[in-house]
Amino acid sequence: MTREVLSGNAAQAYAVRLARAQVVSAYPITPQTTIVEQLSRFVADGTLDARFVEVESEHSALQVVVSASALGARSYTATSSQGLLLMHELLHWAAGLRAPIVMGVVNRAVAPPWNIGADHTDTISQRDTGWVQLYPESSQEVLDTVLQAFRLAELAEVRLPAMVNEDAFYLSHTVEPVDVPPAELVDRFLPPREGHAILRPGVVARLGSFTGPDHYVEFRHELARATDEVLRRLPEVEEEFRRLTGRTHGGALATYRTDDADAVLVTMGTMSTTARTVVDELRAAGRKVGLAKLRLFRPLPEEELRRLAGSVDRLGVVDRAFTFGASGPVAGEVRAALYAAPQRPRVDSFLAGIGGRDVTPGHVHRMFEELLGPDGAETVWEDLAPTEVGVHG
Amino acid sequence: MREIRFHGRGGQGAVVASELLAQAAFLDGKEPQSFPFFGVERRGAPVTAYARIDDRPIGLRTSIVAPDVVVVLDPGLLGTTPVTDGLRPGGLLLVNSARPPERLAVPPGVYRATVDATAIAVEHGLGSRTMPIVNTTVLGALARASGVVSLEALQRAIDRYVPSRPRENRAAAADGFASVRLLDAVVPPERLAVPVAPGASPTIPEGPVATVPSRSIRTAAWRTLTPEIELARCTRCNFCWKYCPDDAIELDAQGFPRIVLDSCKGCGICAAVCPPRTIAMVGLEEAA
Repeated sequence: MTREVLSGNAAQAYAVRLARAQVVSAYPITPQTTIVEQLSRFVADGTLDARFVEVESEHSALQVVVSASALGARSYTATSSQGLLLMHELLHWAAGLRAPIVMGVVNRAVAPPWNIGADHTDTISQRDTGWVQLYPESSQEVLDTVLQAFRLAELAEVRLPAMVNEDAFYLSHTVEPVDVPPAELVDRFLPPREGHAILRPGVVARLGSFTGPDHYVEFRHELARATDEVLRRLPEVEEEFRRLTGRTHGGALATYRTDDADAVLVTMGTMSTTARTVVDELRAAGRKVGLAKLRLFRPLPEEELRRLAGSVDRLGVVDRAFTFGASGPVAGEVRAALYAAPQRPRVDSFLAGIGGRDVTPGHVHRMFEELLGPDGAETVWEDLAPTEVGVHG
Repeated sequence: MREIRFHGRGGQGAVVASELLAQAAFLDGKEPQSFPFFGVERRGAPVTAYARIDDRPIGLRTSIVAPDVVVVLDPGLLGTTPVTDGLRPGGLLLVNSARPPERLAVPPGVYRATVDATAIAVEHGLGSRTMPIVNTTVLGALARASGVVSLEALQRAIDRYVPSRPRENRAAAADGFASVRLLDAVVPPERLAVPVAPGASPTIPEGPVATVPSRSIRTAAWRTLTPEIELARCTRCNFCWKYCPDDAIELDAQGFPRIVLDSCKGCGICAAVCPPRTIAMVGLEEAA
């Protein structure tokens, strides 16, 4: 085990090298670019034995890794924001073809107006494509999660593509100490991918053929069952990883000081770190608050959310994206998941960190105050400037 | 925890400087964190980068708004960018400038230092006279002026992580260390170690720690800085009220704090313990 100071993007590239990915294809886009820059250096200096395929767009990048994956290669790509949106059609293809690709997505705001800051709209709006979505909060968790994502994605019962998402800059470009496991250890956790080649060179076959209603339903149902399997298998994969490295990141819903909490905030990504510090501050002042980090957004860990709901009076869900005409998207999903719960706490919806806006300890303090207060019917846009910015001239 | 904010222009190496500082602090056995804030990614555009250094893992992922140290790589930014915003009393402003530190305008209670990093960088062939790469020189000066990192660790970090001309960069860092001009003595590291995490304390008092208010001794006359509370961001945690050593803070009917100016001696403890950092220590003339 070596300890190095790495950015989230470097940690992602280190993990892909440790995973011995065989095909990498990507198109540059800020703030993702440094992931594939680092990977192309690894390929050039011979420390990663992979085929690096240069392409002219994100759409083509994903097509390359879908094809490579169908041939049985462990395949990786990375993108961000508009690049992910350009991939949209092929995201459905990757999941439908059951291609266990891992993709790093650096969560960046969607234009217009043009913005490169952290925002989850890009990945949240791909939630119905059938991809697994994981949201780590630190460089260490990025490295570990990429390895776990390959393991999970390639399981015979799963065979689904997975996104490992990083908040732009607050994670992608933040350097901090990371334990880098030795290659031999990772090889035991993640042996070479085998037995999944749908296509073979020299054998004429067709993939994604026309399928009528007589069979299409069953294909979709299988996809649905495979997605459910992720919820069952993630704890096993994490436990195996813990046995080898001693590290765990808390499963699909990582709870912190929630046992006797009156009010719990649900967060995704980097704001979880700051929120945990605020939980400690408030606990020291005698307030019973806790944090639940949603690591896995797709599939949604509904049972774990219901279990959490059974012991708290108030849940506040902090979204870094908005579903227009509705609420924060995660808040909406949490409310839906809890509808079948025997005990349903009040669920408040907060929006914070949109377009790279800083989420400070002060904001988290205020969200807890609002959560413990009397209201909570509508979505609260945290830190909204009091004067409207004119957008129509 | 020490919080350091770098101001530079695209192409000068401010982002690399903050990363190198993190690498060097790591070699010193510390837990560092560093990240940049990009606006427009273009050469010449103002760039901000942040670094935090602590003995335990950093529990924050936010920009630095109340730094202990501000480092300015380009003196031209002084007129256009509010570089000293939020700089803590007892903190340090370090500027790449040929001028003496007396010429720097700073908030009261802030230490000043300058280093002629442009001349040193050019002498070592780092960049050109119009676009010198001053980051390693400035980091050497920072090591001497602030003590947040050792010169030895900084030079090891340069050897490992600076891909181009490590020997020249190492020498420039040493020259920066040797030639930095400090207005006062070297800032004692304990002065920079402002307590910022009240949660680290296992017990928070129920009420004010002060038992005797300074009503009879007019300590207000000692005051050179006045606390100003930005009530819009106040969370009413009342830490300021609890920790004021002179019982110089009252709570109004809604629980918001108010400074009793007759008793406040301007020690700054309220500002240091405020979790959302809503209290600024301002000079008497600026105080409302």
